Amino acid sequence: MSQYYKDAADLYKIYGYFLDRVLKDDKIGLKMSKAGIIIKFMYTDPDAEITIDLKNPPSKPGYYGAFYLGPCNLKEDVWSKQPADHSHRFWHGLENPIAGITKGIIKQGGKVTAMLKLLPVIKPAFQLFPVALKEMGLDHLIVAKK
Amino acid sequence: MNGNTGRIADINLTTETVKILQLPEETYRRFIGGSGLAAKVFWDQADFSAPALSSEALLIFMNGPLTGIKLSGASRMNATARSPLTGGLAESSCGGYFPPALRLAGYDGVIISGRAKDPSYLLIDNGTVTIKAAGPLWGKGIPECTADLKKTYGKKSTSLVIGPAGENRVPFACILNESHHAFGRCGMGAVMGSKNLKALVVKSGTGEFCAADPERTKSLVKKLTPRIKEYIISQVLHDYGTSGNLEGHMYEGDVPIRNWTSNFDEEMGSDLTGSTLSERFLKRTATCAYCAVACKRIVQVDEGPFAVAEGPGPEYETVASFGCLLGASDLAAVCKAARICNDLGMDTISAGATIAWAMEAYEKGHLTDEQTGGVPLRWGDMDTVVHRILPMMASRSGKLGALLSMGSASAARTVGCDSIEYTAQSKGLEAPMHDPRGGHGHALAYAVSPRGACHVQTAMHFMETGACNYPEIGFEFDLEALTHDKKADTMLLATAIGSIENSACLCQFADRSLTLPEIVELINAAAGYGYDIGSMMEAGWRIFHLKRCINYRFGFSASDDDLTTRLKEPARDGDTAGIEIDFDEMKTGFYELMEFDPARGVSSREKLEALGLKEEAELIWPQT
Repeated sequence: MSQYYKDAADLYKIYGYFLDRVLKDDKIGLKMSKAGIIIKFMYTDPDAEITIDLKNPPSKPGYYGAFYLGPCNLKEDVWSKQPADHSHRFWHGLENPIAGITKGIIKQGGKVTAMLKLLPVIKPAFQLFPVALKEMGLDHLIVAKK
Repeated sequence: MNGNTGRIADINLTTETVKILQLPEETYRRFIGGSGLAAKVFWDQADFSAPALSSEALLIFMNGPLTGIKLSGASRMNATARSPLTGGLAESSCGGYFPPALRLAGYDGVIISGRAKDPSYLLIDNGTVTIKAAGPLWGKGIPECTADLKKTYGKKSTSLVIGPAGENRVPFACILNESHHAFGRCGMGAVMGSKNLKALVVKSGTGEFCAADPERTKSLVKKLTPRIKEYIISQVLHDYGTSGNLEGHMYEGDVPIRNWTSNFDEEMGSDLTGSTLSERFLKRTATCAYCAVACKRIVQVDEGPFAVAEGPGPEYETVASFGCLLGASDLAAVCKAARICNDLGMDTISAGATIAWAMEAYEKGHLTDEQTGGVPLRWGDMDTVVHRILPMMASRSGKLGALLSMGSASAARTVGCDSIEYTAQSKGLEAPMHDPRGGHGHALAYAVSPRGACHVQTAMHFMETGACNYPEIGFEFDLEALTHDKKADTMLLATAIGSIENSACLCQFADRSLTLPEIVELINAAAGYGYDIGSMMEAGWRIFHLKRCINYRFGFSASDDDLTTRLKEPARDGDTAGIEIDFDEMKTGFYELMEFDPARGVSSREKLEALGLKEEAELIWPQT
């Protein structure tokens, strides 16, 4: 039972808002776009799927990439599967992704090195995630640092 | 005996005699092999009053029980001596091709004592050891000497070679195999040079690896190989080399910049990281024997002042020590500096760190033009570093060459002005390029490591970064990098695991994904030690405590388990800025857990006896 998400729709609402901010961000979005890959995030509890396209030119002006909430037909270059709650804490900067992989909490496949290269790039987004939650009136989902 | 050959060549260069040392199987089991077995031989045979570069000093090369099993990362080798840089126990680990060649030639290791009358090299040909005159090989750079030896003894021969720095006894001189794989740290090259020994050559080894359980060994290799290859760290290493995550490490405050005065330079991180190296200069990947990971880089810089022909490229440590640490973002210059160090035979960490210290000393006015002989030392001036300073250091020529060839700690003591405060070292060994302020466990690991500041003598580096999980011994928790919390307890486990890895001669990159039960199974299948996790861990602790005893006999005490001010003061920028390291708390906790005497820094009699080190306990704690 997820600590943070009621269901997939709830997750899509939060990540949709967050990714909209990230992929428009002139610093983070621009750097992410240089990765030139399509990433599929698969979540468990609740089961959900989000694809981020950093390969094809974004159709929406002002965006450095596109994202799709739910299953889509794009063929990913790399995929990552993890519990939704783990991802929620990760976007707060509270989970060590290497430890997650070592312990088998996160599974990955495809061009994983390309995704790892994104880690330093997305680090500033850890500050945006709680801000996004606050803006959505979801302060209770903000995870405090120990 | 299985796995191991049971034969160690014991060579005295003064008397020109070769004996075969055959240790009891139980000694192998108790000390695993590699680093542990070499420490035991050193303890038993060394003259502790002999200076590091005296003819009486020992130089030991030792394989592990897995060397030759054709598994990625399982065929490394240890070198042990007294360090000319620190005066204490010297250890270094090297992959490449020499370790399995030596095993297949019939030896687990080589002990070298004495001093050859004239420059010489050792030739090992299927069990026969001959001392040969080095003649014109003496004075040559490592690649040229290596090529000459290969020409003489054939393509299948492989050698360990020193360069001019080793001949000149630069205390951080290294030894290289195939001009690429290094016994980098602690000055093993100087020890070899002091013995008038230019090289060890294995001409041919036609023996076979005789496992205790050949079928089980074969099936384990088959099972583990794809997993090692697919492990995420292996993939990063394969694609981008050991500097693959330099940029990421910079965000964690792990990468030291401009002599450890900064930890964050986004542009520098991007300019120097492994993917940039691959994009700009990579010609192909290379590997150690039997390894599917292939983290080694073969690079070429086509043009410019730092052009280098196709050949070995820099590792992470070299990129950081000749790039970030010197305030230089020019990757071509780093490739050139690395190549010169390989040619002359110098450890890139100590060389880069010593130059970085000198640059700060020059900036502060502690090191004057008069003292440098007019050579300017400015951040990022790689032209001067590459074309003037490195050759001077290796030849120990000129005022600056003589000063910097001593290493940072001795050079700082010579210069004075409290410049020792901004060296970055422990026990005289320059710290590797992982900033303890970005992971406080590193501070403890560097300080208590027997060889001096070192991130691979224990497993703390990988445990703190989350790359390890050992539920069988209770390590299944995440560590907070920027606190002292749980670091002493973790270090207790890290000492045993690091000793096991270095004694089994496992690569800490390639074999990172191996579990403890798998390591037990591998050692048992290959060497028939009959370990369970408990007895293997006990062997690891036995080895670590023995090394502490060796250092105690060299005069080290608890006060030497420390770091310089620079490494303990809070970082000045980046995410780790301003955070204090609670070093004393970690050290006190660790001392208690290890049962170290708080003043002497050596294990208690009871602890030594409990680990089966009775004779050692008698020597350390004589009963009156």
